[in-house]
Amino acid sequence: MSELNWQRTPLITIAFFLFKQLKQFVTNISNMIPVFAGIFVAGKNASWLPFALVGGYLVFVLINAVLSQRFFLYAIADDAVHLKTGIFNRKHLTLNYDRIQQAEIHQVWYFRPLKLTILGVDSAGSAGKEVQIPGLTMTLAQQLRQRMLEQSNTAENASTSNDASEPSPAPVLEKSFSSAEIVRAGIIDNKLFVFLAVLIYPISQFDLLDNYVEPWVTAHMDWFSSDLAWLMAIGVAVSALVLLFFGAIVISLLTFHDLKLTSDGERYQARSGALSIRTLSFRYPKLQGVFIRRNLRARLLQRSVIKVSQLQPRVPQGQGGQGQRFTLPVVDADFLATFCRQLRIPAAASVHWQRLSPLALLGSSLWLALLAPIIAVFLFFVADTGWVGITTAAVVWMLLQGLITLSWRNYGYSFVSTEQAPSEQWFVVRRGILSRDQNWYPRRKIQQIDLRQGPWLRLLGFAHLILHTAAGSETIRYLPASEAEELQQQWLEEIATNHQPWM
Amino acid sequence: MPIDWLAPESSYRSYLQARSLLNMLIIAALIATSYFTGVYPKHLVPLWIIGLIWTAVTLFFSLYFASRRFLFTGYAKTAEGMHLKRGAMIRKIRGVPLNRIQHVEYKQSFLERGFGIARLAMYTAGSGGADLTVPGLLPDKAMQLKAELLNTIAHEPSPEDSHHE
Repeated sequence: MSELNWQRTPLITIAFFLFKQLKQFVTNISNMIPVFAGIFVAGKNASWLPFALVGGYLVFVLINAVLSQRFFLYAIADDAVHLKTGIFNRKHLTLNYDRIQQAEIHQVWYFRPLKLTILGVDSAGSAGKEVQIPGLTMTLAQQLRQRMLEQSNTAENASTSNDASEPSPAPVLEKSFSSAEIVRAGIIDNKLFVFLAVLIYPISQFDLLDNYVEPWVTAHMDWFSSDLAWLMAIGVAVSALVLLFFGAIVISLLTFHDLKLTSDGERYQARSGALSIRTLSFRYPKLQGVFIRRNLRARLLQRSVIKVSQLQPRVPQGQGGQGQRFTLPVVDADFLATFCRQLRIPAAASVHWQRLSPLALLGSSLWLALLAPIIAVFLFFVADTGWVGITTAAVVWMLLQGLITLSWRNYGYSFVSTEQAPSEQWFVVRRGILSRDQNWYPRRKIQQIDLRQGPWLRLLGFAHLILHTAAGSETIRYLPASEAEELQQQWLEEIATNHQPWM
Repeated sequence: MPIDWLAPESSYRSYLQARSLLNMLIIAALIATSYFTGVYPKHLVPLWIIGLIWTAVTLFFSLYFASRRFLFTGYAKTAEGMHLKRGAMIRKIRGVPLNRIQHVEYKQSFLERGFGIARLAMYTAGSGGADLTVPGLLPDKAMQLKAELLNTIAHEPSPEDSHHE
């Protein structure tokens, strides 16, 4: 083996390790709640304890970041990138170019003034890893990326033995998204509504208004008449919500600023960002699922959200693996059709939706019908709410039953194939109560098929069919048992005899 | 085409019974500890009632449930895939196409070693855990099946072959 030229990343990458550590802390924060509770209890007697812990943690993060930068070494060889990492547990990682699935250049905001980038690399295999090399210059990162992708592409082309590969085909699809569209994306993907749902619970639990806000107001602003105070409280609440609403739009404008989609027919890339520029991409042969999302706001704005899954190395939980999924946050009907055609998804008109058996409706309705009268009786006799309780129970029952029926009515599944030349067969599911979501999976990429039959289903002669793909699983409920068995057999055979690469 | 299901070894039934007995003994030990430390609410549920419940559950699991599960468990390797059926109340038939199997693992726990059986786990790219685990195999047979599967995976026809067909 030739001598490796080990290099250290620039000093500024300390910031990268710092942010990485902090990000990890934020994603793991929910696991630490018991610890916080402990500190809170202990902290009643020792008020310095929380400060000591926070201070200690900050010092730890700083030292850790500095040491991580000191001990992070990389070397670029002709066939691989070598990495040496770790402060106490030294790790030596060799990434061969021909094993690399994907290489992305991330331009983070704190590197951009220095014209430095982060190169993120995904390697193949179930024990695959995502590795980031921070602080490379743009030219070096681009060179490296080019080399990695070329290697893996030639390996791929050799195995698929396609016609002579053209060196750099012209993009077949190019689309820029205007700011007006991005604002729409911000409205569609507005966390305000999630936030509201989360907020309502603690507010109802703690009697925040009665116990804390009101005494504070009366103590500090006795010149306030109570009418005015109420008006002001409502005003503050409304303006906070408006602020949240616009905050979400601003975040969407920042992350998706100047969003540009390019594709050469096989590789799709979306580049965006105002501060940090990020690139998300996928390759068609590796596609595992296409998700078209339209919530109520998206339907009103006549837009859709598209997400594409490809096989990724297993991301440890809570490290934001979902955030890296290829996403187009807002597309109109025209572009949706174009994009779907590119992905060889058949046109909406050619899909014959199949509904689930009405038995699927019966199951949950029966439980509800059993539960609702019990709750009504409880409210009437035990909780002593009188007719109000009974009426509420009845209304809630009707409402839930309506939702169940609606979700059954909107659910559909189908098996379709494209008419275009390189035919692709799909399995598609649509669902939603107020939203309209579609999940498309290439049929030959299904990983396993389950048949499930509880005692109740066995009695009726029905079974659930569960299809597991690398991008998630779907259940077709209440199929006649014989039909389900037949389908399972048929698809297993179909998948087993299909020798096209699937990942 | 009907699948030729193969039953697990008969010692698998004894293994299932022993396992449920072991679990119930752990529960009994927990109850006993709580009784002697005074945590157990004697005035609410007398000890003989909990004993009766414990006996009933133990009998149910080790006699009825284990045999029922054993009777339904079966596996099959066909030209296209591995099949496994299992479950006592809720029955599950799983099929994995051979060309989706990523790797195969031979497993034997302490208790299984006592009964002279082993498991063979197959993994796909879909979910996190083991995707198809064939229980109650003789160690030799499990090893043989493993070799067979690996052989099939290694000699998977490449895309060129199917293109030129």
